Amino acid sequence: MTERGVEDQLVDFLPNLRRFAISLCRSREVADDLVQTACERALANAQSFQPGTRFDAWMFRILRNLWIDEVRKRKTAGPQEDIDAQPDLVGVSGEREAEARLTLKSVAEAIDGLSEDQREVLLLVCVEELSYKEAAEVIGAPIGTVMSRLARARRNLAEAAGISAPPERSAVVKGAG
Amino acid sequence: MMTDRTFPDEMLMRFADGELDADEMAVIEKAMEADDDLVARVAMFIETKAEAQAALRPLLEEPVPEALKAAVEGMVAAKRAEAAKVETAPATVVPFEARKQARPAVRRWTLPLAASIAAVVGGLAGYWAAGEGGPQPGRLSVAGVVDSTIGGALGSVAAGEEVTLAAGDRFRAIATFRDDADNVCREFELDSAGRSTVIAVACNAAGEWRISFAVSAPGDAGGYAPASSTEALDAYLSAIEAGEPLSAEEEAAALAGLPKTR
Repeated sequence: MTERGVEDQLVDFLPNLRRFAISLCRSREVADDLVQTACERALANAQSFQPGTRFDAWMFRILRNLWIDEVRKRKTAGPQEDIDAQPDLVGVSGEREAEARLTLKSVAEAIDGLSEDQREVLLLVCVEELSYKEAAEVIGAPIGTVMSRLARARRNLAEAAGISAPPERSAVVKGAG
Repeated sequence: MMTDRTFPDEMLMRFADGELDADEMAVIEKAMEADDDLVARVAMFIETKAEAQAALRPLLEEPVPEALKAAVEGMVAAKRAEAAKVETAPATVVPFEARKQARPAVRRWTLPLAASIAAVVGGLAGYWAAGEGGPQPGRLSVAGVVDSTIGGALGSVAAGEEVTLAAGDRFRAIATFRDDADNVCREFELDSAGRSTVIAVACNAAGEWRISFAVSAPGDAGGYAPASSTEALDAYLSAIEAGEPLSAEEEAAALAGLPKTR
């Protein structure tokens, strides 16, 4: 694995890269363009990949940076939907909470409903199984930020999709977040 | 239920994700034995991870669109071809450099590169082009037979020497060598007042000198072609597998041995 260069790993890695892209930008069309551009970028900068480090983390970072650029462009381009304006389910009124519990979402829908910040750390750590440190490098944030976002993401996910959220704990849990 | 509050959520999450060291793990494991609520909180983190993985597994199993796969495979192949070229490059670069250095007239010209951009190979219109009726006196045409004036100079002027032709043009012989068909070839420059300097190669076959390469370096080149013209020449000489430049004696013998020019 450590002996292999970028060219040797790229094609095999496409399914993972594409899944990350789809989950990140929530559009297959946008995701496929993003994956292609990320591959182009990766090959052009292949010398910056350090053998012995995780290839997947390196690729995720390239793709994620491209996506951030894209989001920025869209934001400055005009009145488009703010990609980060997803409702944060923690801290909503009791009424909203009750409603959410009544109409439980599928896990996939609940992940889609997370804020961008929370979704990307959830994808990197829970789905792609990066360490907190690796995830921190991908998103260019301190490890503490990864942990707080990830904990919030999981509480929100559990609540939205009805995953083993002990009701009697929810008040205290929310207070902690 | 006081115990669980001593463990912040993030610590329990790190426990669930295996991000704690052994000592911290042991502490939480011990606390969980006596605290169901703590177990439930840890379970939430374990389950959200498992559920998220399960929910997104279908995306991983989805076939990658052919167009995307093909595009990436194409990029990888291009990258590999490029890498292969770089690896084999020394084998081709070394003799090329060596041959270049062996040329007797290594010129270090300082004319700006832009001056040579208009260098033209082949289509030397106007001044250099042969008319419909064939070569005009004192003129060159690529792939054409040179006239007797230039032909005479090609057959007699030693490398490094310059002669003035009848029309007032200056002819300078640069080097003599043999091409891959063993024909005698000469690299030379030709310039006239107010006109371009032309750097050219003519080869003699069966008594006829034919221009096989010419580059014009426009402007007041002062009788010298700029360096990038010679780069084009070098590329050409490489392409025809030009041999090493002949020594003065070899050159004299080769020119003397040519069939009489017509």
